[in-house]
Amino acid sequence: MILRRVAAVLFVPLMLGFGSGVYLYLGTLKSKVVKEHAKLPTVTKPKFQLPGTMFVVQEGRLFKLSGGNFTEIGPAGDWSQPTLTPDHTRLVAVLRGGASSDLYLMDLDGQIIKRLTKNDSRILGANHWAYYPRISPDGGSLFFSIDNPKLVSNAPGVDLSVWGMPLNGTQSQARRWTDPYWYTGGDVSPIPLAGGGLLYVRHSIDPSTAVHAQIYYQARPFALGKPLTSAADDCSEPALSPDGTQLAMVCSRGKQTAALEVAPFNGSALGPAKVLLDDGLYAAPAWSPDGKAIAYLAPAGDAGHFQLWYLALPPPAPSPTASPSPSPGVSPTATPHPTPTPAPPAPVQVTQGVDLTGTSAPAWY
Amino acid sequence: MLTVLCLALSGFAGAAAYFFPVVVAGVGQTGQTVVVPPSASPSPGVKTTPTPSASPGAAFTVLLLGSDDDSKFQADHVLTQSMILVRVDPASRHVTMLSIPRDLWVPLPTELHCFVGYSAKIDAAYACGGPAAAIATVQRNFHVHIDEYAWIGLKGLIKLIDQLGGIDVLVTNPVLDDFYPDDISGGWLYGAKRVAVLPGAQHLDGSQALQYVRSRHNDINGDFGRSARQQEVLLAIKAKASTLNAADLPDIVNALSGEFKTSMGLDRVRSLLGVASAFSLANVQQVVLYAPTYTYYPGYYISGQSVVLPHWNQILPLVRATFP
Repeated sequence: MILRRVAAVLFVPLMLGFGSGVYLYLGTLKSKVVKEHAKLPTVTKPKFQLPGTMFVVQEGRLFKLSGGNFTEIGPAGDWSQPTLTPDHTRLVAVLRGGASSDLYLMDLDGQIIKRLTKNDSRILGANHWAYYPRISPDGGSLFFSIDNPKLVSNAPGVDLSVWGMPLNGTQSQARRWTDPYWYTGGDVSPIPLAGGGLLYVRHSIDPSTAVHAQIYYQARPFALGKPLTSAADDCSEPALSPDGTQLAMVCSRGKQTAALEVAPFNGSALGPAKVLLDDGLYAAPAWSPDGKAIAYLAPAGDAGHFQLWYLALPPPAPSPTASPSPSPGVSPTATPHPTPTPAPPAPVQVTQGVDLTGTSAPAWY
Repeated sequence: MLTVLCLALSGFAGAAAYFFPVVVAGVGQTGQTVVVPPSASPSPGVKTTPTPSASPGAAFTVLLLGSDDDSKFQADHVLTQSMILVRVDPASRHVTMLSIPRDLWVPLPTELHCFVGYSAKIDAAYACGGPAAAIATVQRNFHVHIDEYAWIGLKGLIKLIDQLGGIDVLVTNPVLDDFYPDDISGGWLYGAKRVAVLPGAQHLDGSQALQYVRSRHNDINGDFGRSARQQEVLLAIKAKASTLNAADLPDIVNALSGEFKTSMGLDRVRSLLGVASAFSLANVQQVVLYAPTYTYYPGYYISGQSVVLPHWNQILPLVRATFP
């Protein structure tokens, strides 16, 4: 009898333990998407060592990737879109505040050298966003997109135009280059060219009311822009190879997935594009310093966090012939259609467990 | 024998404790009873009786409703910023989504007695008479039968997406807005703030996703552009939700506490989650009633409001074709 009572008393904690165990076990069955939180790049080790040095962004923090190690640089703040000077000695990056964003010049360790723009205001509507900084090949000019001017005649229009200013000058010296298609978000991703022209992405609307992205070439401020890609291809996020002969881009063709493509570029026109990768969420392509590979950001795993990927390129295609350029504002008559090519090498996942910012292309030298 | 039974009971108790929030939510937030008022003059072919449950495996139509539910509004008297009809056909694994413009000026069911002349923007139906009124208004105007509804508040959407660990979206163009409502951060409810969602593929958290689907002031397509973005986010949520399992439900339910309700019972919710993983984007048809093809701006205010008027001769054939 006593033995039974002792057994019963001992059995109660066993039941409690078993019940608690079931509760805890069920908790371990949660899917990764609920449990997985992005790690800081600095606590991770890249799976693949990239050549050179790269700057990337995660949740407003700047990171330098060099020699297979991440280091955080720059002061606290909501930083994004770092870009290098042509001599690779300084960076320009975007610092976002609550209602505005500004461009800052900093050294490669993130020490601020100079504030380049002042876009904040106590009046809400007088604030501006400055994004997509890019420095001209001669290092003398800074190009960027800014929502200035704003359209105030009817419904409030807040669209990005491309502006250029001396890198060593002031914002008052800035000069507007493009006139956006209003209410589409405007013109983004400028790339100043060695010849003095400019590549950028224009957003516009077609008769069926669909908004498209096209890569444009423009020779001078306010000159008529020339679309290099068709509206239907929805190409954006251009990245020019270090030698200026190839353009990488992301083309979505109106879908929620995209292709990563490369096309030869002769300074004002694109040749036939090659599809390197298709049917994925590719973002922010950047060329390797030797121009033989592309890094890009894309999600990996169920959590959907964006990781850094590396893709070695097949040999480049021949330069384009002087093909007729598409008319402004319409689909080009001679669209550089993608051509079938041999399968390129498979992409290599560089980072794991981080969540890099898809709208900040890596700066790589 | 007794030992095994006791252990089974304790294990069951542990599982019951784990899923207790789901059970509570299942009782409180799902299976909401909706009695759709019968129409005084029903349109041909329109069922207006209380919504019957479709047989298991049969196609069914859900009216998705999304609302501002901050303290500007009385509880359950909120406007529906988003109204999306979704038809799910489990057999063919085909999904059709049709966004209804919130500014669409339509006759409301006369028995609602909310508005002089009984016409109003369609987003007011829910505020006037809850889900039953919203369902009746859509059924009578669009000549479509609705089996179920699901409503979610803005904060619920944020929490849901955060609980899912964010969603991946390909933003087609910059979404900039100088007059984005600043009504859920605890400040002045009628204040505005600036938002900027940059283009490109990216991982959005709940707040960023809400900005993407709610902003409309700088969209050349106005509310229609916003509707298209809402469908994109819905598909992104679906893609993320397809990776969930039953053990995730308590956290999801906790996140949606008070911000979600549906007429669907737990059985249908469970079957819906099951089939969600089987759908591919290729089998999803997205429809937005863009102006000028399906709707138009009259160029004047009605009852002091900027409204959108329907081209029913264009809309109804489309609805008949996509919601048979």
